[in-house]
Amino acid sequence: MLETAPFYLTVKLAFLTTIILFVLGVPLGYWLAFSRFRVKFMVEALVSLPLVLPPTVLGFYLLLAFSPENALGKFLDTYFDLRLVFTFPGLVVASVIYSLPFMVQPLKSGFTSIPKAWLDAAYTMGKSRRVTLRKVLLPNMKNAMLTGAVLTFAHTVGEFGVILMVGGNIPNETRVISVAIYNEVEAMNYGVANTYSLILVGFSFLVLMVTYFINHQKNSLLTYD
Amino acid sequence: MIDLQLKKRLTGAGGDIFLQIDCQMQSGEIVGIYGPSGAGKSSILRMLAGLMVPDQGFIQVGEEVWLDTSKGINLRPQHRNIGMVFQEYSLFPNMTVLQNLEFAMEKGADRKLTKEMLEIIGMRELADQRPQLLSGGQKQRVALARAMLRQPKLLLLDEPLSALDREMRKNLQQYILQFHRDFHLSTLLVSHDAAEITRMSERLWVLENGSFVYDGEPNLYFT
Amino acid sequence: MNKLFSVFFILILLGHCQIGFGQKNAPPIRIAAASDLKYALDSIVAVYQKQHAATIQPIYGSSGKLYEQILNGAPFDIYLSADIRYPEELSEKGHTASEVYPYGVGRLVLWSKRINTGERGMQALKDPAVKKIAIANPRHAPYGQRAKETLIHYGLFEGLEKRLVFGENISQAAQFVTTGAADMGIIALSLALSPAMQRYTSSYYLIPEDSHIPLIQGGIITKYGAGKNPVNLFFEFLKSETAVAILQAYGFTNP
Repeated sequence: MLETAPFYLTVKLAFLTTIILFVLGVPLGYWLAFSRFRVKFMVEALVSLPLVLPPTVLGFYLLLAFSPENALGKFLDTYFDLRLVFTFPGLVVASVIYSLPFMVQPLKSGFTSIPKAWLDAAYTMGKSRRVTLRKVLLPNMKNAMLTGAVLTFAHTVGEFGVILMVGGNIPNETRVISVAIYNEVEAMNYGVANTYSLILVGFSFLVLMVTYFINHQKNSLLTYD
Repeated sequence: MIDLQLKKRLTGAGGDIFLQIDCQMQSGEIVGIYGPSGAGKSSILRMLAGLMVPDQGFIQVGEEVWLDTSKGINLRPQHRNIGMVFQEYSLFPNMTVLQNLEFAMEKGADRKLTKEMLEIIGMRELADQRPQLLSGGQKQRVALARAMLRQPKLLLLDEPLSALDREMRKNLQQYILQFHRDFHLSTLLVSHDAAEITRMSERLWVLENGSFVYDGEPNLYFT
Repeated sequence: MNKLFSVFFILILLGHCQIGFGQKNAPPIRIAAASDLKYALDSIVAVYQKQHAATIQPIYGSSGKLYEQILNGAPFDIYLSADIRYPEELSEKGHTASEVYPYGVGRLVLWSKRINTGERGMQALKDPAVKKIAIANPRHAPYGQRAKETLIHYGLFEGLEKRLVFGENISQAAQFVTTGAADMGIIALSLALSPAMQRYTSSYYLIPEDSHIPLIQGGIITKYGAGKNPVNLFFEFLKSETAVAILQAYGFTNP
């Protein structure tokens, strides 16, 4: 039977993840782009880790970490009444970790693509790093920000392994579209599975098309050429 | 008066250069720095600006100590009152000409200054244009005006005209000289063009192998 | 940019309303159920919901995995397992709020879309046309464990081991065979009797009970479902004649 909840859950999850990752990704990408810390390469490796780890590995460790049987999970449960396994907030945490490189990498590239002379000029005009970030860096990397946002959004929509492990398959809570499709296939409801899938394909295609369209536009929001 | 003592090891393509500078300039002077490529001229300006830190150094501008490595004093560029013009244009493409100028101003400063400056550089009609549509000469005029708007104690010009053709060069040279006549800012001009630097500076420093081998009249050096 | 944000916020607000809507009356009763119960339990739930105001959400999976999830705090009120050992262990660990109720005995069948297993029995497995044989994963799915035992019992396991493909649970194993990804499978009788599989063929071979440890199925109310009256009511309904009749119709014999 076709439920509508999975669609809302998926969009909500992807949207929340993207926003949170943007807020986290800007300072992190900035630090990776400009810092000269000797341990920077370790941080970079950590950030990129979700790219190479199988989703089930991440899901497994998150399940262990957040299980109310174990220290962290118990702590969260007792003091914050917060469960991160089999709940939507748990999915958000998992998605943020899993999609981290998809936001940080493009942002970092965006930062390093800005000519250093612009930053030098801003500093010699008495502008702090924060003001320079806001008024000189970010407005000139709209492409990078859009890429990061779209990649993060799309990646979250497509997530399955981590979500299934950490979220289970709870209707109206953690049964996102990818899990719902799996669920229907297992139950041999191929018709419903197909409907879900087609809608998802259509939606993803639409999002990508709009993104590339904006990208290719001259005189658009994105560039100043 | 501006007191400048710098020691820095610069790594370059042709090997390392040990920069060692010890000199003074008078307030309001326009001094040229001449030397071969890679000699370290830009580095001197960057260290003055606070964009690069020397291994050892002391910089005092008027009453202010901007840098004293022995005492751990090192003012950030934001706190040194300098204006800098770079060889590569550094206007911000996300802002119009007017906005680029206004960016230089402090909060609450008099906006009239920017309008006046626009007039001086003859760019009033192009105030709302984006820099991408301007010619090289126009861009550098705006960059120059932007650097001057804060009435800096020290104006640093790092090969500002090298990317321009002869006509524009002459045009900009006039602007720089005019600005100097009107505002008397202490100016350091880096150039590798002998004729240009002779025309523009009152005094010439020649950098070779890491130190100044000449300090005097520009004319006398080139003859 | 701002417009996009507004659109999304509206969507999310709507989403909240949508999701909240279904649960306006009471929190749903969540049942973690072994995959072999898919059709039987759906029927039981449908009957129950006609007579009572309750929202029941069955979540199907392999019994072993559901067991792990319950141990890790999964929000399930009732647990129906294809292997009674799991609920018994939960009871020992103090995760239950009821006695363990054996609701039936499961049976294995040999099933294939194209080959007539009903006539040929276990020997059908040796047919050269059978390149892939689907069973549930023996590590955490009771039907998988029993399937492996059966194969060993008939001396077929070693020769056929390379051709085995494992489904996450008995449902997925069945799905492998109905899609043709596997040529034959050892699956649950309850699934073979379901409309979803009957539409392909009504033929199957009922594997003799003595070839494996019996598949006694059992259910409990979990710690999470403790003290909830609607949960108690439904659990009792499972023991009613109606429910038992439905279970038997799907091949679950009396334990």
